[in-house]
Amino acid sequence: MSQAEGTAVAAGAPGLRRRRFSRGRFLRGSVPYGLIVPVAAAIGAILGYPLYSLVRLSLQHYGLFELISHRGQWVGLDNFRSVLGDAVFWHTLLRTVVFTAVNVSATIVLGTLVALLLVRVSAWARLLLTGGLVLVWATPVVVAVQIWYWMTNFQNGVVNYVLTKLRVGDFFQHDWYATTFSQLGLVTTLVVWGALPFVAISVYASLAQVPRELVEAAEIDGARPWRVFLDVIFPILRPILLILTSLSIIWDFGVFTQPFLLIGQSHIHPGNYLMGVYLFEEGYVKTDFGRGAAISLLMLLMVSAMSVVYVRKMVRMGDVE
Amino acid sequence: MRSRVFVAAIAAVALGVVAATASAGEQRAQANKLTVWLQIDAQSGWPDLVASVNQQFQKDHPGWTVDVQYQNWTDHLQKFDATLAGSNTPDVIEMGNTEMTKYMAAGAFQQLDKSTFDNSANWLKGLAASASFGGKTYGVPYYAGSRLATYRTDLFKKAGIKKLPTSLAELTADGQKLMKGAKKGFSPIYIAGEDWYVAMAFVYDYGGSIARTHAGKWIGNLDSAASIKGLTAFKNLFLTTSRASKTTDETHPNPYDVYAQGNAGVIIGPSWFTCCTGAKYKADTAQFVLPSHTKGQPLPGFLGGSDLAVPVTGNKLGADWIKDFTSTSSEKTLQAKGNIPNATNLLGTSINERAAARSWFVPTAKHWVDVENGNILRNMLSQILTGKLSVKQAAASASDNITSVLNGA
Repeated sequence: MSQAEGTAVAAGAPGLRRRRFSRGRFLRGSVPYGLIVPVAAAIGAILGYPLYSLVRLSLQHYGLFELISHRGQWVGLDNFRSVLGDAVFWHTLLRTVVFTAVNVSATIVLGTLVALLLVRVSAWARLLLTGGLVLVWATPVVVAVQIWYWMTNFQNGVVNYVLTKLRVGDFFQHDWYATTFSQLGLVTTLVVWGALPFVAISVYASLAQVPRELVEAAEIDGARPWRVFLDVIFPILRPILLILTSLSIIWDFGVFTQPFLLIGQSHIHPGNYLMGVYLFEEGYVKTDFGRGAAISLLMLLMVSAMSVVYVRKMVRMGDVE
Repeated sequence: MRSRVFVAAIAAVALGVVAATASAGEQRAQANKLTVWLQIDAQSGWPDLVASVNQQFQKDHPGWTVDVQYQNWTDHLQKFDATLAGSNTPDVIEMGNTEMTKYMAAGAFQQLDKSTFDNSANWLKGLAASASFGGKTYGVPYYAGSRLATYRTDLFKKAGIKKLPTSLAELTADGQKLMKGAKKGFSPIYIAGEDWYVAMAFVYDYGGSIARTHAGKWIGNLDSAASIKGLTAFKNLFLTTSRASKTTDETHPNPYDVYAQGNAGVIIGPSWFTCCTGAKYKADTAQFVLPSHTKGQPLPGFLGGSDLAVPVTGNKLGADWIKDFTSTSSEKTLQAKGNIPNATNLLGTSINERAAARSWFVPTAKHWVDVENGNILRNMLSQILTGKLSVKQAAASASDNITSVLNGA
């Protein structure tokens, strides 16, 4: 990791001047490396050691008995074999991929729309909207879960009440937690709601970089709003959208708090697992820490693979600039 | 630009890793301080008893202080696991009787000398079984509680119900009477759809069980003819008399809250449910023992209860604290609070204690707690009640599941 970063910095350093192997040149050349040392050391200590422990744990059988005696049994790749041979793992993975795709696209699309709205509205409306977004951002997840839970309550929930009053249908005692689909649907609304402010405000900030003249020129040439967005605004937003998308994928793929608390410990079962919940249930609840570590490593690999795609895209884009 | 992208990527990966690794280790065990983990029931129900036992302990062991830390049922095992990893375990821990076996099997507790505890020869069977493993004692029964029906006497009177039901058929008929003219959403007999404590009572009432042993192996038994009869009886009672969510458990919402809002005629749960049925209905609230399908018999209730144990890395003096906390006089105090004391010679004639005459308990298998935490029974019940699967199908799949979990697969 630190090596990759070092290369990046070296590549970014001015490379036009001719190389001379003087002492001063060497010292100056090593400055970037010197600057990176503390960061590399901190990352090594904070990430390297836990990662090492995690890999170690994933190669051991480590249950309650081993926890008490503080010594695991080496089992090689048994944990990985058992996880990869578990149908629940593959079902959970598929469910999580679909869940992530839906959540990320909803977050990005809605976030961008809100940002575009922010540009258009009057100053006071913008202030109001931004204020609302910041409040959403400031709401702790656990509190938001509780509010969602109250709103969708079977007996006294305001959602059922309002939907019935609006004559959408008879929602009296409608059970929002009856099927996996509606459980995960609720989780989706919660996740997207919570992620919206970050995306909207970031995109809004980057919209400020769109030169007014470019848009005007396109409009004079007869471009419709959709064309303007696609050919003028979108290329400028692309870097930030890529960053936001890759971050959202990482967050949503491993999401735990929202599904675990909203669906609730007593309703979590293999039929509605997401990867984060699966990891917790297998590792902690069943006290099989070795297997949990294996799942955690597999998740880490998947997330890293996903981010590599985006990082490479970003780097290529940087080269074009 | 490039470097910033890399930093972002690294930061992102870092977040993932940090999120994946849990933090362990809390307070360091302090010399001359006895750490006791009790469940919140003691905090809300009998804090005076805890205080007086602490005083007694400190008097007997000069220089020692007792630090009682109250825990929640939902996450206390995960917290306990974390302390085991760091060997900063409490010196005394309260465990639910269904949670004990797994920990005893893993060697998490110190062996105790049974004879040194009051009334140990007469400990309640269900609790004593949960506190011993392989013939050795690792825990001390603390108290038990049975499940009762708490009901609105005024509504029963209004519906013309003259005497309390003595059979399941009468109970169902009374439920139907209460339903007449009731407001929308009212449950004559409120039962949460996934309340497996109630559902399994019917299974045991019809002679079924959750699992049985055969040739040293556990075999799920919910698909037996008797169990299916019990599950069907539960389904019928629920569909006729409960308007609760079919997919919720017995704490979301708490049945006594439903009752206090005037939305239930009868609720089923621990005897202390009378605490919270609301001031409005206080004068019109009483309890009865749920009837079996066989006239005149009580429905076997789940004998819930707690044990106290000394973790293997805890201080041996923990056992002395337990002695004080489960002494005859302490148990009498617990009894006065509406609990069932830990020994048969202390049993009185309260309705709670009468209901315990016929009780059932979960299989004492090492992996039972995984069945409970895996929500296998709850999931089966919601499948049955929502009609997603027939009783037979749901029971068969749950039963297979239980067989594999109990045998540690």
